[in-house]
Amino acid sequence: MRVDIQSLGTYNRLAQEGAEHAAASLTQMTGIETYVDVTNVTLMSKRDVEDVFGGTEFVGVQIGLGGGLSGETALAFDRDSAASIVDVLVPGATAGTDDSFDEMARSGINEIGNIMMGGFVDGWADYLATSVDMTPPTYVERDGTDVLPNGTLDRAEEEHVFVFESQMTAVDEEIDAYIYMLPEYGAFAEMLEASDDHEDAIPMDKLTVFDEMTRQGAERAAENVSSMTGIETDVDVSRLSFVPIEDVPNTARDEVYLGTVMEFKGTPGGYLAILFDEPSARTIVDATVPMELDEPLGDMGESAIQEMGNIMTSGFIDGWANVLQTSIDHTPPELVRDLGTAILSPIAGRLGQSQEYAFLMDSTVVTPEGEFNCEIYAIPDEQKLKEALDSLLVERSDQLEANRESIF
Amino acid sequence: MKTYGEKPASARTRQRVGIADFAVTADGAVLTTSGLGSCLGVCLHDDRAGVAGLIHVMLPTAPDDPPNAAKYADTGIDVMLQAMCAEGAAVDDVRAKLAGGSAMFEFDSQDEPIGERNVAVARTMLDRRGVPIDAEDVGGDSGRSIQFHGETGVLVIKSAGDERRL
Repeated sequence: MRVDIQSLGTYNRLAQEGAEHAAASLTQMTGIETYVDVTNVTLMSKRDVEDVFGGTEFVGVQIGLGGGLSGETALAFDRDSAASIVDVLVPGATAGTDDSFDEMARSGINEIGNIMMGGFVDGWADYLATSVDMTPPTYVERDGTDVLPNGTLDRAEEEHVFVFESQMTAVDEEIDAYIYMLPEYGAFAEMLEASDDHEDAIPMDKLTVFDEMTRQGAERAAENVSSMTGIETDVDVSRLSFVPIEDVPNTARDEVYLGTVMEFKGTPGGYLAILFDEPSARTIVDATVPMELDEPLGDMGESAIQEMGNIMTSGFIDGWANVLQTSIDHTPPELVRDLGTAILSPIAGRLGQSQEYAFLMDSTVVTPEGEFNCEIYAIPDEQKLKEALDSLLVERSDQLEANRESIF
Repeated sequence: MKTYGEKPASARTRQRVGIADFAVTADGAVLTTSGLGSCLGVCLHDDRAGVAGLIHVMLPTAPDDPPNAAKYADTGIDVMLQAMCAEGAAVDDVRAKLAGGSAMFEFDSQDEPIGERNVAVARTMLDRRGVPIDAEDVGGDSGRSIQFHGETGVLVIKSAGDERRL
């Protein structure tokens, strides 16, 4: 099947509007001022799902959808956020961070979940001109992927799953809430399916290959870090998401990063940013420069980061070139030290001249002991991505599997 | 990015403005936006009416019928001016300050960098509406985070470890 990019954009917008309704409900019920930070739709393999949701503890509700839109949803809070909300909503309920939530607290979470998800779903029902049925909320208090609706992992193993994700954040408090919606694959695929002559369409099977390409690029980059620093590394998260172009800068945190950015040219064209937060940059420099350096990092430290950026870039590009069986030209990686959003804004601006949405591939390289983490953002030019995927033979996905195995 | 909740009640209230978004205050809130790279922050203030606005635009010129006018300098400034007038501002009394529009990278420095064009289009639009620009902190190669004080019209800019007040 082929996916119509424009309709993916429409559904992203619906999810954004839905999340805004949900945030408004949360504010109305609690008086806590909130805003919707990012909404994206991600295509995830089983491994992506495990990476993204593994190792975190959530409190929230699950609600199933039926009728005009079938699928599963979850509203998830981290424990502290849930405790803050319960405190406001049901004063007197036990919502301590170490105790488990009592009956009153749970019913408070259920209630707010029901109302927020009702708001989220209304916009979809309006757009689809149909009614959407919601099951009663199920309270969940679980680790990692278990917060996702039952069967998600099995489905992800058979075929990639689409995951809509919205993050809501309180203005003045440390409260985060996430809405996940996993539309039933078959029905959603039909909603997305483009007619054969649709010029904006992207073949679905090739899109999943591209997702794997990103992981392979990130793994090569991580291997290069390990061989240069002697620190064992792993790719923690690697995913392909579809976001409005103006949301691209927000995917980096609002803090200072050091790293390198470069433009790659040809097919696919686009940009690659490799960013370390400041403590991580320090760790990298200490591991690679054999002398004591001043605090904060000066020229020598920056050149070490530049070198690391060069090496990771070439690893990433090798990963892509291997799948595309082509060489990829790029500008020399440029050193940057600035706020994450500022670093990504010129990239969004340049791509935004010709496209409304971006395919964003973000990966995180981490170490088992948490010595550092590195964020890798690859953002291809949409038109060039289509060309690259068109010229990508589908058989190559088999070859990709073989290559992946030979890496390990 | 919209925020939900009660309207800012005092000069101590902060309101965050996202990319391709704007906010208007008639009661002296501090309007903030962070991580301006090639993007441009346009701050407008009508001292007499006590109305201020901040828009964070990403691109200079909009295509026909843009889904989000606040994303572009040419359409966004007008949209914010209208919203300010709805709160009691008069275009003739509005004055402007600009911050942002840097060229962070070599690949964005040749043939008309986005940041430079954002600044140029904002200046043209403001000139066309008869809004004078009192101060600018634009260009360069560093990102900026800004706070625009709705009560006083003072603009505080943080960039590469420095803080400047305009």
